[in-house]
Amino acid sequence: MTGHPANGLDDTVHQRVRLGILTIAHEARRVEFSYLRNNLELTAGNLSQHLGVLEGAGLITVEKGYAGKRARTWVALTKAGQAALAEEIAQLKLLISQIERTDTSAD
Amino acid sequence: MTTETAGSGDDPRRLLSNVRALAARVREEQRATWFPLLVFAALTFAAIPVRRYSGHHLDCWAVPAGRNCRVYSDADFVYWPIALVLAYVAIAAFYIRRAQARGIGARIRPYAIAGILVAVVLTGVALWELHHPPLTQNPIGLSDLPYRLASAGAAIGLALLVLAWAERNRALLLLTFAYLAAVLVPITFGRAPFDPPWYSLPVVSQGSLLLLGGIGFALAQRPLRSPAS
Repeated sequence: MTGHPANGLDDTVHQRVRLGILTIAHEARRVEFSYLRNNLELTAGNLSQHLGVLEGAGLITVEKGYAGKRARTWVALTKAGQAALAEEIAQLKLLISQIERTDTSAD
Repeated sequence: MTTETAGSGDDPRRLLSNVRALAARVREEQRATWFPLLVFAALTFAAIPVRRYSGHHLDCWAVPAGRNCRVYSDADFVYWPIALVLAYVAIAAFYIRRAQARGIGARIRPYAIAGILVAVVLTGVALWELHHPPLTQNPIGLSDLPYRLASAGAAIGLALLVLAWAERNRALLLLTFAYLAAVLVPITFGRAPFDPPWYSLPVVSQGSLLLLGGIGFALAQRPLRSPAS
């Protein structure tokens, strides 16, 4: 691995939708499937696919249950997920500052 | 939206700004600041008749400069501890029910726990102070500060600081500072706090601040509240 910040980006997290899922889950103690689907403007199948990837990587937990008679799926961030999100944001900031430095030196 | 990676054409600046915008939107949707403020405004106003018609005690003791007196009500040690605990239970229940309806959890636990703990601790401190009156009196009235700090108003204010942190709500933080100032430096127009009807003036000002804050937040948060309800 070289020192370039782009190399520090995790492919599992560095994806627009998955980053959105982690961000929302980070802000909430837990978030419901339909909330994620509506806010990220995804189909149920597409969202399930992304949740599967994140759950497989141990970044979220998916819990199924009922609220009254309605089936609900709740998503929560794991500690590894929190760390991965923090790392992704740190790497993005690093990447941005590197781009800005390059832009400044090019001027 | 497809399953493309962020790297394919996504500027890191745009990606980061999207993350921040999404986080800010979620935070705003989680907020229900108006509810605790209106609950505490109601409890504060309800405390006025409770205090007025409950038993009062006047304690006086000698100090080098003369005599210090303090009046307290039974309501201070019965009404407020019970009311505060019930209020936090109601607020937590409200937030949990709202979270279930909207599909997004809220960080209410730290606020409810801090609120109950602060209420219990400050009631204990107030009871302790009751049996340990100060032997000196500060001429500018700062000697009253520990008593104002060990009050229901301060308990509400300190817990609101936790809510402002949990909701990351700067407007609530500013309101809480104003409220704590009203609690710690009450408006009395120089009248004795046990001189009717002046004793209720600080409570009215504190309750009004909570009420106005609650109404303000209810109006500000209304557009976000309507679609999900």
